[in-house]
Amino acid sequence: MTFDEAVKKSIKVFVKGTMPMKTSELVEDGLLYTPDFFDQMEEELLDEPTDSKMAKEEELEDEA
Amino acid sequence: MRLNAPIPGGNYMSDTRNYAWHRPPDTVDYDEAVSYLIDKIDEPEEKELIFAMLGIDAHITTIVTTLLLQAVSKGKLGIDLAILIAGPVARYIEISAKNAGVKYEMGVEDKDRVVITPTLLKASMGIIDEEDEDEQVIPEEPAPEAPSEGLMAMPEAGGVAPEEEQTAMLGGVDEEEPEDEL
Repeated sequence: MTFDEAVKKSIKVFVKGTMPMKTSELVEDGLLYTPDFFDQMEEELLDEPTDSKMAKEEELEDEA
Repeated sequence: MRLNAPIPGGNYMSDTRNYAWHRPPDTVDYDEAVSYLIDKIDEPEEKELIFAMLGIDAHITTIVTTLLLQAVSKGKLGIDLAILIAGPVARYIEISAKNAGVKYEMGVEDKDRVVITPTLLKASMGIIDEEDEDEQVIPEEPAPEAPSEGLMAMPEAGGVAPEEEQTAMLGGVDEEEPEDEL
């Protein structure tokens, strides 16, 4: 297996929601960057208006 | 006699600290390694480059591989840890692309996978339905005779069009060359 293939497989597994179990056991409090962490981050980021949208809204307010 | 082979014991003389990946990596912690790469991705120049790559239909897996190989070659990460953190890094790039409204493709989908259908399964097992067999028999139709007259008629054997006709067909017009007025 080449490095590219290993990376692809790792991404595929992570996207499905699986974590490296033995690596998780090494840390007592658990790992920070888990699939749930990124799901939450996505929700928070995409619910808020993006920077470009906010800039456009500000411009419209200034014009009014 | 001269042999084309490495000098015995030559490996003991070489400097094994030449390359970064010959030394212990700077980061061995999972979260620390992910944080390092996320910080790197958040740099404006790096972000521009990543979005530009996504713009030319590069897959996220390709970008992640490039970033990880860079980190390994600089001695920041070991190869094993690099493979472990590929998932979080890819996910972060995906979220960033979504947030910026950039079109992206993850590159982990099996597009080349052959979809198994009943027909394909039958064909692979050599099962042919009777109905299919009936449909496959096509009666041969006799070929129509070639017309002997008219535009579609076959030319006579060895028949060559006259030179004028050939020139006319090629769009050529017989004209005298204008004399040089100078």
